[in-house]
Amino acid sequence: MSVFDILVNYHATLLGGLWVTLGLFGLSSLVGIAFGLFLGAMGARFNAIGTMVKIFSFALASIPLLVILFWFYYPFQTILHISLDPFTTALIALALVNTAAIAELIRGVLVEFPRQFIVVAQMSGLSPRQVFLKVQFPMVFRQVLPSFLTTQVFILQATLFASLIAVPEILRVAQNINAVIYKPIEIYSSLAVFFILTLAPINYLAYVLKRRFTRDFSEY
Amino acid sequence: MLTAQNIEKVRDGRHVLHNVSLSIERGTVVSLIGPSGSGKTTLLNILAGVDAPDSGMVLLEDKTVSAPSPRVAMVFQQLFLWPHLTLRENITLANRASDKEVQELIDALGMGAFIDRYPNQTSLGQRQRAALARAVALRPEYLLLDEVTSALDIEQIEAVAALLGKLKDQGTGIFTITHLINFSKRISDQIIFMDAGEVLEQGGKELISNPQHPRTKEFISFF
Repeated sequence: MSVFDILVNYHATLLGGLWVTLGLFGLSSLVGIAFGLFLGAMGARFNAIGTMVKIFSFALASIPLLVILFWFYYPFQTILHISLDPFTTALIALALVNTAAIAELIRGVLVEFPRQFIVVAQMSGLSPRQVFLKVQFPMVFRQVLPSFLTTQVFILQATLFASLIAVPEILRVAQNINAVIYKPIEIYSSLAVFFILTLAPINYLAYVLKRRFTRDFSEY
Repeated sequence: MLTAQNIEKVRDGRHVLHNVSLSIERGTVVSLIGPSGSGKTTLLNILAGVDAPDSGMVLLEDKTVSAPSPRVAMVFQQLFLWPHLTLRENITLANRASDKEVQELIDALGMGAFIDRYPNQTSLGQRQRAALARAVALRPEYLLLDEVTSALDIEQIEAVAALLGKLKDQGTGIFTITHLINFSKRISDQIIFMDAGEVLEQGGKELISNPQHPRTKEFISFF
């Protein structure tokens, strides 16, 4: 059975796994962006929150994702006497890691944003809204975008860990198909090609944006 | 008149500015000279309302300056051109000058060849001229300059001197920090010498040729 045959015969199953993967990634991204932006902005504004964001981000970056995932799958639910389905469990773990990464990214860029760029804009008579829309936001956005994309690529890759707690995402589906037809080379090669096609453009975009936009502001 | 009265500034336990008083009238050029680390840039920041003095005050006409305003434009030593905008966009984002005046400014500073480039695509000298043009295009009453000629060649310095002369004639009060003694002598009505946070001597152009304070004499003797 060729790769093509596998894709044709199992396309419905594979698409089901792909949807779960994309759903898990999409929701983790949305939650991470919403809470990360909020926490990052608050952390840049208030020192106490900034310290908490730093600790939160440092701690989560130090714990392997698998440990976080299993902690939410077993001890967390046992402690709280609740029962969450595997998808929700994986979503909580990934969203938490994403939130921490985005919050620290936003906080860092905002804190290090040279005040003089804003001072010059104020001196130019721009209103606070114009200063934000025409100066601060475009500069911060360009500075943040490459690292943000890299983080989202990591989160998409990390969705595969959800297979270990029985979330029927694309790796889990591929493993199930392999258990039936035993064609590991074709199946896992197809999976690799799928991820190259999905993630390589995003990685390349992040690389291009990083080269183009991420600069040492002090040179201007 | 832009006036600094008895300005004191302490940073990290060190007196950066001590009892500094000076005034800049509209239609005049005042140069501030002195060794590096003598507090010149701190004074400029305080005059622009970017930094606050620990004591003393800055008055613009009769009002206390406590925040940056378009009436007092400043060109920072590090320039701070907005990197996501071309040099032309930097100049026109908030300018109060007409398109014709902006074009005259671009021509006067010889920026036509690179005006549509982004800051990272230009040399330091080109960026310095753009930052100066951005401040001038605001048509401020007072223009504060922190070493705007440090990366310019002789021809470009001439162009800047001519522009400052024109602005002075139009009634702009200009206060400039410079390490170019001849430039200072040529354009200034008043020259101030500062060292270790204190104004040691101020006077007309004769301060360069005939300094009175021993420290001024010592400093000028190197040129």
